[in-house]
Amino acid sequence: MGSAIAMLTALGAGFGMCFATAKAVESVARQPEAASKIQTILLLGCALAESTAIYAFVVALILSGK
Amino acid sequence: MSTAELIKIGISIVVFALCFAGNIHFKGLLKNIGDTDTKKLKSLKKRKTLCFVGVIISIWFAIGVFVTWFSGRKSGMHIEFSMFGERTGIEVLGMKLSETTVITMAIVLIVAVLCVVFRLFIFPKFKEEPEGLQNVLELCVEAVEDFCKKNVGEKAGVSLAPYMFSLAIYLIMCASTELLGLRAPTSDLVVTFSMGLITFILLNYFGFKKLGFAGRFKSMGGSMAAMRPIMIPLKIVSDIAVPISLACRLFGNMLGGMIVMELLKGALGGYAAGIPGIAGLYFNLFHPLIQAYIFITLSLTFIEEAMEGPEKQSKKAKKQSAKAEN
Repeated sequence: MGSAIAMLTALGAGFGMCFATAKAVESVARQPEAASKIQTILLLGCALAESTAIYAFVVALILSGK
Repeated sequence: MSTAELIKIGISIVVFALCFAGNIHFKGLLKNIGDTDTKKLKSLKKRKTLCFVGVIISIWFAIGVFVTWFSGRKSGMHIEFSMFGERTGIEVLGMKLSETTVITMAIVLIVAVLCVVFRLFIFPKFKEEPEGLQNVLELCVEAVEDFCKKNVGEKAGVSLAPYMFSLAIYLIMCASTELLGLRAPTSDLVVTFSMGLITFILLNYFGFKKLGFAGRFKSMGGSMAAMRPIMIPLKIVSDIAVPISLACRLFGNMLGGMIVMELLKGALGGYAAGIPGIAGLYFNLFHPLIQAYIFITLSLTFIEEAMEGPEKQSKKAKKQSAKAEN
């Protein structure tokens, strides 16, 4: 039960990544020549947004392991 | 073999024969028809591909039935995993080594042997004008060096590039062990945490070396003197969180990929001929590669952040004020 609640964090991470990707697509469409720079920044941002979901995943694993 | 399995094999053989015959039949028709009747040509091609798909599916089904009969593995969700690697029988100094440690040692051994081979046999053959393998190697080394220089500056970039390159090779090797059916060392919390600790040590080393003991704390506090008592403890806590967050990120990603693969294998049971191999290209190869890239970029970013001193900020402020005066 606790692990299921912990995995709800994935919702927030999904929204965060969705916003980041939407903005990145917008900016690439506006400035196609800056695509490579935007891509690296997007990857970093997505990793940071994803990390919350991963922490939740690790916590859920620890909870379900007991 | 039981009767149910025999019936399954019989069905697959019948389907195989029908589809194979259909495939050859449509091939013959296609040759006769020529290019004039495009509508008929399209429908015939569609039927031919359908027959081809049928052949593949029947072969896959037959292999699945055989494997299930041979190994006795039933499909169903029974997977087991642990946070840390399982202990093996090998003992060193009275401690049992875990599975991931043994795999790590094997990887390090392979890389070391490859390094010696490269140094002894391939490097002496290198010429001024690169070609073939030398081109690839130079491209890799230069790319990593440029990447490090871009992120942490000229001086620290040169000294950090070898570590980052070896880290990249290590992470890629770790990811590819999972394709062999072994547990990837990076899906063990101990391995990832030790790599995070190395980043933490590097971060503090470069920070204190660049700014000095007092300067580091000053830069932690920010430009406002009144905020320093609040900012410094916060910054110290966030520095301590660096190895933990790096370790958990890599570990969670790798373990997540492993669990997805195990679920796929468990669900398919004996019928998992070839399917996990295709899915593994994403979960075991592509995803870990991105994670390795992110691990390296993030550690470089953290090191750069630790090295960022008050001089840089004051220079910027001076420039801004000069601009304002003009």
